[in-house]
Parts: sequence; C-alpha cells; structure tokens
Amino acid sequence: MKRDDERGMHEKWREYRRPGYYEELDYAWTMTIDLDRCTGCEACVTACKAENNLPIVGEKAFAQGREIQWMRIERYWEGEYPNARLRFIPMLCQHCEAAPCETVCPVTATYHNQDGLNAQIYNRCIGTRSCAVYCPYEVRYFNYNNHHWDPPLDQQLNPDVTVREKGVMEKCTFCIQRIRQAKDLAKDDGRRRVRDGEVQPACVQACPAEALVFGDRKDPASRVSASMNDPRAYRVLDELNTRPSVIYLKKVTTDAG
Amino acid sequence: MPAEVASLRYADVNRDVVRSLVETGPKYYITLACALGLTLVCFLFPWFYQLNLGIAAAGMNHPQVWGTYEASFIFWIGLSHSGTLLSCVLHITHSSWRKAMYRSAEAMTLFSLMVAVTMVMVHLGRPWFIHWAFPYPNQMELWPNFRSPLLFDVTAIATYLTGSSVFIYMGSIPDFAAVRDRTTGWRHHLYTLLSLGWRGTDTEWHRLGWAYTLLAVLIIPLAVSVHSIVSWDWASSIVPALHQTIFAPYFVVGAIYSGTAGIVTVMFLLRKYMSFERYITELHFDNLGKLLLALSLIWTYINVLELFTGWYSGASTELEALKYKLFGYYAPLYWEMILCCAIAPLLLISKRFRTSFVPMLVLSIAINIGMYTERFLIVGTSLSRKYLPDAWGLYVPSLVELSILVGSVALFSTLFLLFVKIFPSVSIYEVKETLPEAAELPKPATAERGGVQWQPVQ
Amino acid sequence: MAKLERRDFLKLVGAGSVGVGAGFMLAQSIKHPLEHLIPYPIPPEEFSPGVATWYNSVCSMCPAGCGISVRTREGRPKIIQGNPSHPVSQGRLCGLGQSGVHVLYNPDRLTTPLLRTGDRGAGAFVPTTWDEGLAKIAERLRTLRENDRGNRICFLSEGVRGHLAMVFERFMEQLGSQRLWHFDFAHPRTLYEANQRLFGEQHLPYYDLKNARYLLSFGADFLGHWLSPVHHSLGLAHSRQGRPGVRGKFVQIEPRMSLSGAAADEWIAARPGTEGLLALGLAHRIVSAGHYRGPDRDGWADKLSRYPAERVARETGVDADTIARLADSFAQTQPSLAIGGGAAGNHTNGVDILIAVNVLNYLAGNLGGAGGLVFNPPPAVDSPRRHASYRTMLDLAAEARAGQIEVLIVNKTNPVFALPAAAEFKEALARIPLIVSLSSFMDETTALADLVLPSHTYLESWGDDFPEPGVGFPVGAISQPVVSPLYDTRATGDIILGLSQRVGLGTALPWANMEECLKQGWREIHQRGSQNGDAESFETFWTSVLQAGVWGQDAHRAAPAVNIEPRVIDGIDVEAPRFSAASEEYSFILHPYLSTGLHDGRGANLPWMQELPDPLTSVVYGSWVELNPVTAQQLGVSEGDVVDVQSAHGRISAPVYIYPAIRPDVVAMPIGQGHDEYGRYAQRRGVNPIQILAPEMEPSTGALAWSATRVKLVPTGRRVKLVKTDGASRQLGRNIVRTIKAVSS
Ligand SMILES: Nc1nc2c(c(=O)[nH]1)N[C@H]1C(S)=C(S)[C@@H](COP(=O)(O)OP(=O)(O)OC[C@H]3O[C@@H](n4cnc5c(=O)[nH]c(N)nc54)[C@H](O)[C@@H]3O)O[C@H]1N2
Ligand code: SF4
Ligand code: SF4
Ligand code: SF4
Ligand code: SF4
Ligand code: SF4
Repeated sequence: MKRDDERGMHEKWREYRRPGYYEELDYAWTMTIDLDRCTGCEACVTACKAENNLPIVGEKAFAQGREIQWMRIERYWEGEYPNARLRFIPMLCQHCEAAPCETVCPVTATYHNQDGLNAQIYNRCIGTRSCAVYCPYEVRYFNYNNHHWDPPLDQQLNPDVTVREKGVMEKCTFCIQRIRQAKDLAKDDGRRRVRDGEVQPACVQACPAEALVFGDRKDPASRVSASMNDPRAYRVLDELNTRPSVIYLKKVTTDAG
Repeated sequence: MPAEVASLRYADVNRDVVRSLVETGPKYYITLACALGLTLVCFLFPWFYQLNLGIAAAGMNHPQVWGTYEASFIFWIGLSHSGTLLSCVLHITHSSWRKAMYRSAEAMTLFSLMVAVTMVMVHLGRPWFIHWAFPYPNQMELWPNFRSPLLFDVTAIATYLTGSSVFIYMGSIPDFAAVRDRTTGWRHHLYTLLSLGWRGTDTEWHRLGWAYTLLAVLIIPLAVSVHSIVSWDWASSIVPALHQTIFAPYFVVGAIYSGTAGIVTVMFLLRKYMSFERYITELHFDNLGKLLLALSLIWTYINVLELFTGWYSGASTELEALKYKLFGYYAPLYWEMILCCAIAPLLLISKRFRTSFVPMLVLSIAINIGMYTERFLIVGTSLSRKYLPDAWGLYVPSLVELSILVGSVALFSTLFLLFVKIFPSVSIYEVKETLPEAAELPKPATAERGGVQWQPVQ
Repeated sequence: MAKLERRDFLKLVGAGSVGVGAGFMLAQSIKHPLEHLIPYPIPPEEFSPGVATWYNSVCSMCPAGCGISVRTREGRPKIIQGNPSHPVSQGRLCGLGQSGVHVLYNPDRLTTPLLRTGDRGAGAFVPTTWDEGLAKIAERLRTLRENDRGNRICFLSEGVRGHLAMVFERFMEQLGSQRLWHFDFAHPRTLYEANQRLFGEQHLPYYDLKNARYLLSFGADFLGHWLSPVHHSLGLAHSRQGRPGVRGKFVQIEPRMSLSGAAADEWIAARPGTEGLLALGLAHRIVSAGHYRGPDRDGWADKLSRYPAERVARETGVDADTIARLADSFAQTQPSLAIGGGAAGNHTNGVDILIAVNVLNYLAGNLGGAGGLVFNPPPAVDSPRRHASYRTMLDLAAEARAGQIEVLIVNKTNPVFALPAAAEFKEALARIPLIVSLSSFMDETTALADLVLPSHTYLESWGDDFPEPGVGFPVGAISQPVVSPLYDTRATGDIILGLSQRVGLGTALPWANMEECLKQGWREIHQRGSQNGDAESFETFWTSVLQAGVWGQDAHRAAPAVNIEPRVIDGIDVEAPRFSAASEEYSFILHPYLSTGLHDGRGANLPWMQELPDPLTSVVYGSWVELNPVTAQQLGVSEGDVVDVQSAHGRISAPVYIYPAIRPDVVAMPIGQGHDEYGRYAQRRGVNPIQILAPEMEPSTGALAWSATRVKLVPTGRRVKLVKTDGASRQLGRNIVRTIKAVSS
C-alpha cells in the first residue's frame, strides 16, 4: 500500500466511498450503564469535570441555564407521596452510530472517527450550535464565553485536554485522551490492540456503584460485550434510530415483600 | 389605468425619477443619519460587545441554543422573498401594474438577504471562521460537510444573492443610461460606468428582453428552493414540531407572505416620502392586498395542518410541543401571531380597505410583526420542549439581542436609503411603457421576435 | 502628489481611526487567552514533562478514610481517583473526595501565619513568621504548664485517627490538660453508644451490605454521608447486580427521601422518632411469628409483648400489614441486615432507636456472619474516644465563660459554624485570652483567632489512617505528600511537634517531624507482623506500603457468640422522642441533612461541590426548604417562594422546593451553606440550619438531637429563582428510565 501522501485525492476518495467503509471501525467503544446499580450520587459528574477541564461557570451561568456538564444525572419522579419514587439516569453523549449532530455540522467539526466515537474538533467548530439542536439527548454544551479559573485553581487543569474557548461546542469525548494513551501504551508494548479494561474513562473509574462499564464491543470477550447482552439492555430514545453506543440496563423494581 | 398615471408624460417620468436621485433635501440626510446612527448604536456596538464577550451576551442557553438571531435570519430571508420572486412572476405573467414597484421590491430582496447573512454572522459563535463553511481548495484537503442542510443554505443563499443582484442590475441598465444622460459631474461618471455603455439600440433592447425573461424564469424556482432549503435547517432535524414535511411549503408561503407585506410597507413609504404618488397608486395596493389575502389564507391553512399533524401523530413529544405552543410560556406570542397573520388580514376582503393607504400600511406592518413572531416561535417553542423533560428550559432574549433586532431594521433602512439615491427606485422605462404616450410610438420589429413587449424608450 | 485638503485629511484620519478601532476590537474579541504550560521555571526532580506520576494516599475529606491515587503532572496534582488496592474505596471515589484538589488549589487558602491586629472577629490580620507565631504560643503554653495550670489549655480538633491522634494525646498529656476534644458535627455518637450497650463493642461493626440479601435501613443515608458511603455504594450495587440469580432487597425508613431512600426498593416514611418503636414492632412480629428460636425466646417474647402491631402501627404511621410483611421478609431472607443512623440516630431517643435496630439483627441472626454485622478486630493503631458531644461543647463554653480556659487551639474544626446559636459558643470564645487556629482556611472559628498557624492540606502532609468502621479486618494506610507545599504552611503534626520542642516536651514527643513519627509507629506495626514470620526489612515494608497506599492484615475476628444478658433485654425500650417547642405553633419538624456535596459545610468552599447539582433536587449554589406538595399547597407557596423558617431559637429564610417524597409534617433543609467566612465560594450564600436548632440532647450521650427541632413556616412574600439544572421532572410516558419487574429472587 502506498504511503498516505503518495496517494492522490481520487484514490483516497475511492476508499472513502467503498461500501462498508463506515462499518469497519477499528474499535467500537461502548459504555453500559446499569440503572439498577446507579444511585445518582454524581461522583461521575465530578470525575468528568476534573478530567476534562470543564469550566467552573458560576452561579449566574447556572441560573441562565449555561452550565456545562458532559455527564449529567437526570431525575424523574414517579407517583405521589407516599408512593413517590425517584429514578436517576446518567446522561452523556451517546456516541450515536447514526448521529444527527454529525450530519448537520457544516464544517465537519463533529464527525465519526474510526473508533466509533462521535469526535468533536474544537479548532474547527464555528459555533453554529446546530449540532446541539439536532442532538436529541441534549448532551452538547456550548461555550457562551471564555472561562476563568481563579488562580491557582488553573493548576488543576489536565494538560492532556484542551481548554475550550468561547464560541465552541463541546461534549463528552469518551475521554478520548485516555483512549489515545492506552493505544500508545499498547503500541509501546508491541501489541496491536488495547486490552479490555485498559481504558477507563474518568466517570467509569469513579463510579462508586460500578454502574458504568466501558470497553470495545467488537471484542466479544470484553466486559462491555457481556454487559450489553444482558436482557435488561436498552437504548434511550431507540425509536429515533440514532443507534447509540451507550447502552442502559433497566432498573429492577420489586413487588412489596 | 388610474388618472394620475394617464396624465403623465415621458418627460415627467424622467424628471421625477432623476429628481429623486439628484435632489436631496435635509430630510433625507436626517433620516439617513438616524438610520446610520441607529445601526451603529443598536447593531454594531452590541455586536462588538458580543464578539468580545461571546454569545453569553445573548439570552440563549442549554437547550435553547438558537434564539432571535436565527429567527431574524429566517425573517430576513423570508422578507427577501417577495421582491425578486414577485417581480419575476409578475414579469412573465405580463402584469403591467408591477412596473412602478418592482425595482424597490427587488432592492428589498437584496438588502434583506444581506441583512440575513449578517444575522448568520451575528449568530455564529466564531464568525471569524465563517469561511470554513465555503468549499475552497486547501492544502489540508478539508471541505465543508456537504450533507449539512446548513451548507445547502450557504449554497442556496449565495446563488440567490448572486441571481437577484444580477437581475436588479440588469433591469436597471436602461435607467442608468437615462440618468447618465441627464446628470453632470461625478454622477455622470458613475452612471456612465453603471450603464455599461447602453445606447438603447434595438439589439440591446432585444437582448435585454431575452436575458431578463430568462433570468426571471430561473429565479422563480431558485427563490422557492431557497426558503425550502432554509426550512430544512429545521425540518431535517428530529426535533419534535420541527421534523415536519410541511415545513418547506410552510416556509415558502410564509416568506412570500411576509415579503409581500414588506413590499406594501415600502411602497407606502416611497409613495409618501419620495413623492411617487403618481406612480404608486391605489391599483398597486389593491392588487397587493388581494395577493396578501390569498397568502394569508394559505398560511392559515398550513398552520392548522401543522397543528393537526402534531395532534394526529399521538406521540408524547409532538403533543407536548403542541400543547406548549398553544398554552405554554410563549402562548401569548402564538395568539398574537394568529391575530396578526390569520385574523386581521381578513379585512382585505374589503376593496375599500385594500385601497386605503394608511390601513394597508398598518396591516402590512402587523403581518410582519406576526411573521417575526412565527419565526421566533419556531425556534423558541420547539427547542424548549425536546425529548428529555429533565433538560427542558426557557429562553428569553437579552437586551443585546433585542437591540440587534432593532438594529437590523436600521441596517436594512440604511442600505435602502443609500439605494434610493443610487438606483432609480421606480423603473423609468417600464413605467413609460404603461403611459398613453407609449401607444403613439411605432412598434419596433424586435418586439415580435422577442415575443415579449419591449419598447425602446429614450 | 495631489494636494491634500485639510478636510480630506480629517476625513481620512477619521475613516482610518474607525477602521483601526474596529480592527482592534475584532482582534481583541478573537484573541486567545495566554497560557502557561509548565507552572514554574525550575522543576523538582521527580517528574518528567508529559509523564504522569501517581501517588497513593488517603482521603481526608470525610471520616470514611477512602484510599486515593493522585495523578500528578509536572509536579502538580491533577486528579484524585480511588486507590484500587484499598479495600474501603476499591478504586472508586465520591465527588467530595475528588474535590480534594480544590482544597489544595483553593484561591482562598491561608498562605502564611497571621496575627490578629484589630478587634476579634473584625478580620484584621497581619502576616507573621512561623518563628514568631510559634514562639508566642509556646511561651504561653510553657508558663501555664510550669504553673500547673496546663488544664487551662484546650485543644479542639477535627476528628483525627492514627499517629496524629496519638501525637495530640501525648502533647496534651504532657501539658497536663485533659481538654483535648475532637469535634465533628456529624459524628455518630449515638451509634457508638448503642453498640457499646448492646454488644459491649468499643468499635463500630462492619456492615456487610455486599453479601446481604435483605437490607433494612432506619434513617441511615449510607450512600450519602453515613460512615463509609463509597464502600456502601459498592456493597449495595454488588448485592443487587453482582450475584447471578440473586438480587438483594432494600427497604429504607425515613421521613424524607435521602439518596439512599431513592435507591431503595421500598421507601417508608414512618413518623420521625418512632423508628425504634417500629423496629421493636418488627421484633415483636419476628418473635411472635416464631421466626426466632433462640434459647432466650421467652424473655424476648415477654419483653416485646409491649409492642403489638396495632400500637406500633398507630404510633409510627406504618400499617400493620407492612410491619408483618417487613418482619417476615427480614427474618426469612437470609442473610439480612438492619442498620440505623442519620436522622433516626439524632433524636432525643437516638440511642434507644439504634439499640432497637440492633435487636433486629440479633433476632434475625445477623451477627458475625457474611451479609450481616461483622465485628471489627481492634485497629493496628487505636484511636482515642475523644469525640466531643454537644454537652461537652456546652461544658467547654461554660468553662470558657468562667475563665477556666486560657489557650484554645483549634485544628480544622469549625464549632462556630457547626453549633446551634443556642449554644452561645461564639460568645464564650470571646472570654478565652488566646485562640490559635491551625486551619488552612479563614473559617468562622479561625476568624475569631488571635493567631493563625495555617496547616498544610492533606495532600501536602504526612499522616496515616485506620478507617472505622473499616472492612471487617484491620486496614491501615499512609497519607503521603503528593506535592511540595504550595505556601508557607506546615503540617499539623509538625506544628504540634515543633511546639512540643519549644515548650520542652521533647522526651515524650521525640520526633523532628510527622514523617519520623509515622516511621517509628509503622516500625512497630511491622515488628508485630514480623513475629508471624514476616521477615522483610522495614524499609522494604515501608516502601511497599507507601507504594500500595494501604496495608491490611488478614485477621478476621471469629464471630463472637453474642449473648445478650436478660438484664440488657429487660432494659430495652424506646422512649417517646422529645421535640422542642409546642407543636401547635411550631407545626413542622425540621429535618436537617448533610448535603451530598458540602457535607457539614466543609465542602462549601469547593467550586466543584458548589456546582454539583444536589442529587435529589438538582439545586446548586444555595439553600432551600423542602416541602411536601400538599404542605406547600396549604401554605400557598410554590417553588422559589421564600419562607421564614422559625424555631424557638432562631430564624432563617430560604426558597421553597417542592419535594414529592417528604412527610407533610416535616420540612427538610440541607446543611452546608450559610457561611459568613470561608472564602469566596462559600461566603454569603444560603443559610445554615444548624444555627436555629433547639439545644435538645440525647440524654445518655449528650449528643445533639438535631432532628428534634420544631419550626414554623412564614411565607415572606418574596420570590427568587431557584438555581437548579432540572427542567421538568416527569417522564411523560417517554420511557427514558425503563424498569423491569424482578422475577422474585
Ligand atoms: N507555516 C509554517 N511552515 C513551517 C513551519 C511552521 O511552523 N509554520 N515550520 C518549519 C519547520 S521548523 C519544519 S521542520 C518544516 C517541516 O516541514 P516538512 O519536512 O515538510 O515536515 P512534514 O510536514 O512533517 O512532512 C514530512 C513528510 O514526510 C513524510 N514522512 C513521514 N515519515 C516518513 C519516513 O519515515 N520516511 C519518509 N521518506 N517520509 C516520511 C510525511 O508523510 C510528510 O509527508 O516546516 C517548516 N515550515
Ligand atoms: S457515579 Fe455511578 S452511581 Fe453515581 S451517579 Fe454516576 S453512574 Fe450513578
Ligand atoms: S448523543 Fe447527541 S451529540 Fe452524541 S453522537 Fe448522538 S446526537 Fe451526537
Ligand atoms: S457548533 Fe460547531 S460542531 Fe456544532 S454544528 Fe456548529 S460548527 Fe459544527
Ligand atoms: S466518558 Fe469521559 S468525557 Fe464522557 S462523561 Fe465520562 S468522563 Fe466525561
Ligand atoms: S467517602 Fe469520604 S473518604 Fe471516601 S472519598 Fe468520599 S470524602 Fe473521601
């Protein structure tokens, strides 16, 4: 095979157009979320903030609805007192295989990469915010302004992750920096592939209920594959056919007893 | 033919129109200064502030990432619709009443499009990179996303802008020549340049006739497609209440509706302040009134249809969006829109109403307020009630947004005010065609060959 | 060149300036902020740029003692994760624990010793040196000690364990003072007492949630801040989805749904203070239905006959069928486990309630085995019982007022914030001539100090921890500095050791610093281990413990045969709970609870925790009052309406939040906000419900009964927008959170 720079545009285009090109992912990173384990404690929310340099937006921004939480916990009440019950569901980018956000971005700032991730290129984003309109899961967060960290809080910032500037859309990346690191490590070890469990996104790592499982669903032996095959597995808003890579396991309820 | 027109002679037309270009009173300067000042204070300053701070200057939030800027964008695109489109349709259907008004109508198209494009810039988080949305060859082999309805927009609007600019320019060439011949000094030089050496030969008239008609035929589908494509920004999403097949015709009808109303407003102002009373007459208002009535009925029908589809789907998301639109936070706006765009226009049934200038002005402005509201509601109600109730939100425009909204009208006015001093805002030669004097002239042979009635007038 | 007219020139200049101005503004608008990649020019040796270094240590954000792994880059801690080897946290961490980096990098940290200049509490301090500061206090301590007035020195610390606690003990002992107290608002004092009385156990038992099949929790928010939330969360998750074919069932009994209540399969809102009665009602059923067959069955039957279902149902508000059902399931689904705490332990009859809960464990045979209540072996380094009860604090205040305390040293505890106004503790402090604070932050108590000797944060200090209740076997962990100190601060232990030297207590406290002290302590632990044939050298042992971040001993305690003496059985009873103020006027019971992010207020200065939506309401950055929808309707208030919450001891106001899962006669408020001091993120934000608590106590322990305050609500007519992240709170049939009925396990 010719080196990348030797191949003409037509050659590249042909490969790009080859049937099945999109289906052939190198990895298919997937997360399962067991709603029967999740307690809504929000450790994952904090972990994501710490790992991914999410800004401290301040009270005013919260009041205006401009918080940034790549991982958020949604709450739904059912029934009335004394039978009121609260259901939690962690919501993050679903890394849809048929992602509506990707088709609408005029500059391809958000696209599907060869790992099955819905990637976001901050540099390329011009801030139309249409991807957020198109995303049915409301997991895209826009930088309405530049953010500030009161020094020395800025020293906490993770050097593996950029700080996003105003006018740019952002969202959960499945901690792509950790995936990259694991791949580098595998390469250094002379391995072709990352081992199951080697990549732990920050939220998965933190979760005190071990509700989140992350891995490659192309590997049938991975924990996440096993977890996906649980009969409780379902996808949120499945009817929209976005084919999410985040799979939820139903909450178990019991009869009184 | 109204009496005012019948009494006109060619010389009167020349005089009146050229006067409108050359004689500029203090009133004009004051108006222009106001418009410019308002543009600066209400549009440019807030925009700079927003560029500096970020979109935080606006009221948008999560999940309502689109707001008045998008609404304004659709509004201005819509307003652009009647001008050139109407002019083209009326041209190929030989509606001679069009002739006194089409030039300014086309100008409206052009300037609303420009304002619309500016609104896109205002809307963007990083407008300084807007060139990335254009397909230009670059060493990174990086292209825009051709699947994106937003890119369709870029293409459609760019084409429409080019098409309508050429159309208005081409139609003005004989008039530029006419003005050239009646002016001196820098104006003479300017119009010499603009008239591209027009001498008014038969061949020139013949070619102009053909080209003009051809362009008119091409622009009609283009105009229809532009707003259809704009509607896809919304309709090709899967947002409840936006994901509707009716959206393209809905947008097109809405666009023509608001555009026609806009023409009525502009006609009134031109008539009043540029002393074109003898050219723009009751006839125009009567015809435009009929058109508005027809459009309002179609628009109402589509609105009812939209509600019906939502209700008929039975889906929780659609029903909620419906309920929210009719009875939610923004419901007063919805009912205001219905009043302005569906109920008030029924007055147009009366001929007396149609031929009364001030009531027509009021109605035309009301319709456009209603139509702006419609655009705001499309953005506002749907985005606040999407799929996940936990993420529902509320959006209220900020002062910066409102100011920019007002400023965009000022920007439009400024452009229009500059236009009326450069372009003859009433078509000299076409108006002449309708005068009794025209009948006295010999018919040139070219007219038959062209199949269209064109008369060289000098 | 054409002649340039003046007017043209001016026009050109004008146009040019507008152009340049616009260009400048545009450029300003789009320019990137300046960034610095490496925080300092001369890097320490230990790092290579671009490569992360991990250090294992111990979380000190709450008393659970989770093990942490800190990722540092270029010498700077970046993220705190759980230490996978540590049996308490097993690689997991709660949000508060992860926010430890915000303690370290907090912009409001005290960076240097401070000396008060103005009036007390006026907030006027000048920087001083460590030498001067230490000399000033050492001088006073020496004088007092030499004059045999050592007992006039009082040391009030946050709860500490391990060798630091030992250093404090020796220090105060040498000074000749008995006034050494640990003060934590939420210390589960009544729980210790209950275990002591029923089982004769000094230490808390390990609650084996992981292996339980039926969990009955009386008010214990074990996923919130009760004992060891991360470990409990792991346990509960495992009990439900970690065992093929078995799913543990869990019932929570509490007046207001907590995080744990939300996780429960069944949530029961018994009348506040009657949890013990309910437990004895269940016990009655267990015995009378023949589920309990122990030799002392008759004694129990006799004793419990006073708690028939009808009476219990009437007084608790839980119907008789439910009582029978719960009791049967609890007894028959083995192993089962009953736990009690939180609000249930904070009534005036808190100890009775917790004893009653333990009776259930006894009767169902849950003692000692897997999935039950496992008694802990003694920790490798025992911690002294030094937790100050509310009564102790009152005594302290009285002594201060009587002029019996001349020096008060406060270590990272904040009694001015965490005691009710009724205790008049702040006023009492005014009578103490010298107050020294070792806090890292200007909190409410530190603001009253004369001398501030700011200590390191835990991420900069040496220490160790022996978590309690631990995990059923002895665990220890060393807390090591993961970053060189950011400021001119010192580790708490080093400050005390430094003082000892200056006062001349060298023989009893011979170590130059905490690291040395720890090493000696751990040498002993190592030697004890070596007697069992472990031959590695101490240095290897020390390094390996440091690297692993944890040391454990496979020494499960044999399940003791617990026999409760007839005398004890006889004494079992639950008194009726006492509530402050007459119920007609003060018609609601106030249910204050520890906030998930802010804990007892310690987290209020951490931006991440202020911005963490409350798990149950999604509110951020403020206080609120939770009302049942019916109550709100009766009062004519809705979300955002500000109400005055008035007790007989004070008044605070906060906006209403309509909470679907709270008893109509109870109003709940989170603890944590309402700081007057404590830095920019905490100050002037929300209100502190502790301030209006009635000074009711559990009589036998003197613990503050912080669930025993009655309040009235007075709408103020003001309305604010409650800052929260939630939109609508119902699913509207959209099947977002899907559920499945368990196929009976
Ligand atoms: N605008 C701008 N221009 C710059 C600079 C700048 O900062 N800005 N920087 C300047 C500097 S400092 C430099 S060093 C130059 C770099 O300029 P170049 O030397 O052109 O560097 P690259 O762009 O990295 O391209 C190197 C090529 O080598 C190919 N390649 C990769 N590995 C191999 C290999 O093993 N064998 C062979 N034969 N080919 C390989 C790659 O595919 C790529 O096509 O650019 C200079 N030009
Ligand atoms: S950390 Fe785990 S248990 Fe907690 S909210 Fe997130 S997913 Fe749920
Ligand atoms: S969840 Fe939203 S942002 Fe993520 S891939 Fe799907 S559509 Fe895109
Ligand atoms: S906001 Fe950015 S990523 Fe989203 S559609 Fe626009 S350019 Fe693309
Ligand atoms: S995967 Fe990473 S980026 Fe995504 S929510 Fe979890 S921590 Fe955040
Ligand atoms: S539970 Fe306590 S010790 Fe454990 S991580 Fe959270 S704050 Fe730290």
